[in-house]
Amino acid sequence: MNQVAEPQVAQLEQAIAALLEVPPYGMDPAVRHDALLSLLKQGLQYACARNPQFANYLRYWPLPVSEAKSIAELPYLPVSVFKANPPLSLVPSSEIKRTLTSSSTSGQIPSRVVLDAATSRRMTKGVIAIIRDFIGAARRPYLVIDTQENLGRQAELGARGAAIQALGSFATEIVSCLRTDEKGDSALEFDKLRICAEKWKDAPVLVYGFTYVLWTQLIEPLRRRGMTLPMPNVHVLHSGGWKRLEQQAVTKDVFTSEVARVFGCPPERVIDYYGMVENVGVVYPDCERGYKHVPAFADVIIRDPLTLAPVRPGQQGLVQVCSVLPTSFPGFLLLTDDMGEIIGHDGCACGRRGTHFRFLRRVPKVEVRGCGNLETSRARRGAPA
Amino acid sequence: MSDLISRIASPSEITSAAQRLREAALEKSLPPATLLDVFEKWAAALDGHEVREIPGVTFLRLWLRRGTLEPILTRELGAEWLRGEWRDDGRARLQSFPLGVVGHWPAGNIEIQPILSLTCALLGGNSCLVRVPGGLVEPTRLIMEKLQHVDHDAQLLNRIFLASFDHSRTDAQEAMARAVDGAMIWGGEEAVSQVRALPFPHWARVVVFGPRLSVAAMDSATWGDSQERKAWCLRIARDVWQFDQAACSSPQTLFLERNGASDPAEFVEELKRAFAEENRAHPRQAIEPALTSSICRARASWLLDDLAHHAHFPASADWTILEGAGSQIPEPTQGRTLSVLVTDDLQQAICSFDGTVQTLGLAVKDREREEKLAEAAGRHGVDRVVRLGQMHVFGSPWDGMDLVRPMTRLVRHGRSQE
Repeated sequence: MNQVAEPQVAQLEQAIAALLEVPPYGMDPAVRHDALLSLLKQGLQYACARNPQFANYLRYWPLPVSEAKSIAELPYLPVSVFKANPPLSLVPSSEIKRTLTSSSTSGQIPSRVVLDAATSRRMTKGVIAIIRDFIGAARRPYLVIDTQENLGRQAELGARGAAIQALGSFATEIVSCLRTDEKGDSALEFDKLRICAEKWKDAPVLVYGFTYVLWTQLIEPLRRRGMTLPMPNVHVLHSGGWKRLEQQAVTKDVFTSEVARVFGCPPERVIDYYGMVENVGVVYPDCERGYKHVPAFADVIIRDPLTLAPVRPGQQGLVQVCSVLPTSFPGFLLLTDDMGEIIGHDGCACGRRGTHFRFLRRVPKVEVRGCGNLETSRARRGAPA
Repeated sequence: MSDLISRIASPSEITSAAQRLREAALEKSLPPATLLDVFEKWAAALDGHEVREIPGVTFLRLWLRRGTLEPILTRELGAEWLRGEWRDDGRARLQSFPLGVVGHWPAGNIEIQPILSLTCALLGGNSCLVRVPGGLVEPTRLIMEKLQHVDHDAQLLNRIFLASFDHSRTDAQEAMARAVDGAMIWGGEEAVSQVRALPFPHWARVVVFGPRLSVAAMDSATWGDSQERKAWCLRIARDVWQFDQAACSSPQTLFLERNGASDPAEFVEELKRAFAEENRAHPRQAIEPALTSSICRARASWLLDDLAHHAHFPASADWTILEGAGSQIPEPTQGRTLSVLVTDDLQQAICSFDGTVQTLGLAVKDREREEKLAEAAGRHGVDRVVRLGQMHVFGSPWDGMDLVRPMTRLVRHGRSQE
């Protein structure tokens, strides 16, 4: 690793820390853009100094970083590059504290990102700043719709574990309500739930689960038993995508109203958020208007798949996420495999400032695989990549 | 949906269409001369502005000409067949007859493939039942309308039934398979495997044109020649652009034989200009977001994998040149993404081919050298060796197989009396 980069790190650290201190949705968009542009440029230079392969990538980017006048002109990586093994890193292996892995629900190779202590700290701060804006700062009982195994600290942590643990700062106590039975399947602990519901019935409570886990492991078993968990002051957070539930024809509206019915809370307290392990420290909860907001230390750009240029609000395209938080891997500017739509760059009726957008869907796989497509068969035979 | 292409609601529509087609094929033969006449007129009619922009129509026009088809029919079926005569075979005589109804499952990525496929079977005297993939309905309709204009007595149209149904319609797929005497299947591995597994009659002849990729190669004398460089680069660009590089005949990799006197970077600069020029002339109108993702991934992975790798691309997903060294073909990306590899020895690169390469586009100065490279290519699974710039010219044989003869039966008549 190149020592020349070290003096930059302190400056970068300070600037990022300052952005983490301001209210996440209070900045003027133009001021925020300029601050982020400068920090992202520094981040890219820092990454180049630390990773020659990344520097090689930037060398061939059509526009030099120094000439970029907007975040959209800066070089971005496709998120799939984090499926490489070993994972892309900007720190020596001795400094890696944790590796986060994506859920890779479709049986694909999971992404892996490495975290050093500083990035890990910023990740926690980022998530806290965002979630606090939606549920308040107070600590409260935390009910996790998952097994105990996903609560412990591990060197390699999956997306579910990372999401669960990121909310731990809001907890006075943490209870998991799934257990793994003798067949290896997870089962709901009804008695434990009943006790929690009784004990916490008037308290503010935080509930978190992966969207499909929440539905299949909590809501459906409770419905089958005709059981509810009246906790009107609950906030139910969930993430992880809708693919599996869409296959079961469970719409977002049905999901939200059913979860709200089970907990006896208003539907606004059931909050879906979008996020990915590669975009550490940034999550995008739905606001009261149903839109996802970009915090002060991040940005979202929607790109036209044909031109890769940013599209105007209302047009659909590939989602690019941007963040100044990671310094242990080059996750500053990432083009995802998701489709989205910018709603506006400011002025959401919910009162939060800055860019707000809608997640639409994962990029659909190309149905037609023509006579020239050998990817599958060659890859299966272990052809050189 | 037009009259020319039927949207299938019930599998019985396919079964009854096949019955009509079989009667048309077997009750009366269509003289080759008549067929070639109509094809010639069809080729001429494909000059209209409505069809000119359909990718591959230029190749289709070339294919339909008598000058192209007569030599193919002579080679595959014999000069006597063209005259409607039997040919002697010792004391017996031989004549090719149609199988009857041939089913066609073209790939969804080549606009002209439904037409190319059906013409092969028509040339053998067959009737054709064609499943037109959803994305190809409009270009197929436009091309078929031109046939409608020139086939006044519906001599050919009576022998064609174009069907449109979703690929997941098992009932329709099975009805089609059960109704045919022969099948021509084109496409990627998944599609081909699914169609092959359909319940064809035990007598049906099934010909598969499965997934392949293609490669270009230039010897040091050719790419090092600064006078000719521009012309060659434009030819390569045209081969890459056609069918958005998704055809089995599309070059995915270009091997440049190392040349001590010339710098490959200069050649790549010229290639960049050619790509930019081709892109101006033939800009993409739309792209699958998944392909955009693949292109971005290919660019990043290439540059992150090896510090010796270079890449050249615009800010858009329009085209990409990945530059490096070696003799192994990288995983193809398509979408106008060409890997340019400098290699010490073309012969060695060709000898590492594993049977997946369909077409080798060559630019070699020395004739003897080229013949040796073609020999090596043939031994290592390549089915076509052509000049760079002509990689997509459709002809027989294709994928190492005749295109007309497999859908015919060779009937032997041993005379009962001497």
